[in-house]
Amino acid sequence: MQDALIRKLESFEELSDADRAALRAFVPRVRNVSARTDLISQGDTPSDVHLILDGYACRYKMLPDGQRQIMAFFVPGDFCDLNVFILDQMDHSIGTISPCKTVEIPRAAIEEITAHHPQVTRALMWCALVDEAVLREWLVNIGSRQADQRIAHLFCELLQRLEAVGRVTDNSYAFPFTQTDVADTMGLSDVQVSRTLRALRGLNLITLKHRVLTILDVEQLKAYCGFNPNYLHLKNARWSGRRQVPWLSSVQGG
Amino acid sequence: MAAQDNVEPLVVLQPISVDTRSPDQTGMLVLVNGLLVAVLVRLDAPEHERPGAWFMEVGLGRLAGVRAPTFDTLEEATRWMRRRVRGYAC
Repeated sequence: MQDALIRKLESFEELSDADRAALRAFVPRVRNVSARTDLISQGDTPSDVHLILDGYACRYKMLPDGQRQIMAFFVPGDFCDLNVFILDQMDHSIGTISPCKTVEIPRAAIEEITAHHPQVTRALMWCALVDEAVLREWLVNIGSRQADQRIAHLFCELLQRLEAVGRVTDNSYAFPFTQTDVADTMGLSDVQVSRTLRALRGLNLITLKHRVLTILDVEQLKAYCGFNPNYLHLKNARWSGRRQVPWLSSVQGG
Repeated sequence: MAAQDNVEPLVVLQPISVDTRSPDQTGMLVLVNGLLVAVLVRLDAPEHERPGAWFMEVGLGRLAGVRAPTFDTLEEATRWMRRRVRGYAC
């Protein structure tokens, strides 16, 4: 299991044998978590870093009137909360969307390794930087794109992120999100999401059947919403050689 | 102001066709004490979770940006509107 983490981090930074040995000394706990379950809730004291190995999760916040805002989606290979373990108290929640397999890395183990292994620290910083870049793009999405472009943009982003971890087949990927999940993510109503899905289907850009989303014309969908994948840093020139092989595919069932 | 709080707001619905870039076109302007506060649209596209229900397409003033529930009937929508704008000096 540690190898999965090592591969992930090596996609960002070159690690030494000592770095790898230190990572292997982690005692990660693998958990199978049901769908719609909090990994950690608003108000909790965080103690572990969660890494998603399988399934989808999200970062969200509940407003006093019961409205939920989703601020991030996590797909296989994503750390849910790389830095939040520093917090005394969670100001938001992290919950699963679909059933997930997660790894819990104890806070002490992260602190120990980052204190002694600068390359690992840099790799973890990469992960955090990409998370921030995604958050920036979502901010742009909610603030500046129309409803149908917002959703199209999300579909394009998920395609790229899932492709990077070997979870896309023929431009199709698992889409366990409900219309309400999408609405709560994009600052829209369920009705607007329903209309947008209808419009995108009508344009022959997507199909959504049995919780599998298929993008029928990737280039057209990207053009439709002005999608530019640069913020995902998936093809960083420095590391492209090492980042071609999806690291996660080798640890299936791990 | 206190006196106005006790006055039941007058809610009037006026039919209107609405462009939603979908089959949902049948709409109602919602006027409270003579001021336009919302546009309701009937959900006619079969893809909706509750076809036939009424959706607040747009809210103005106090209802701007409010994510309202969908309503089974116009009466239910009217009750909700009245509750939301009660005490609001239009």
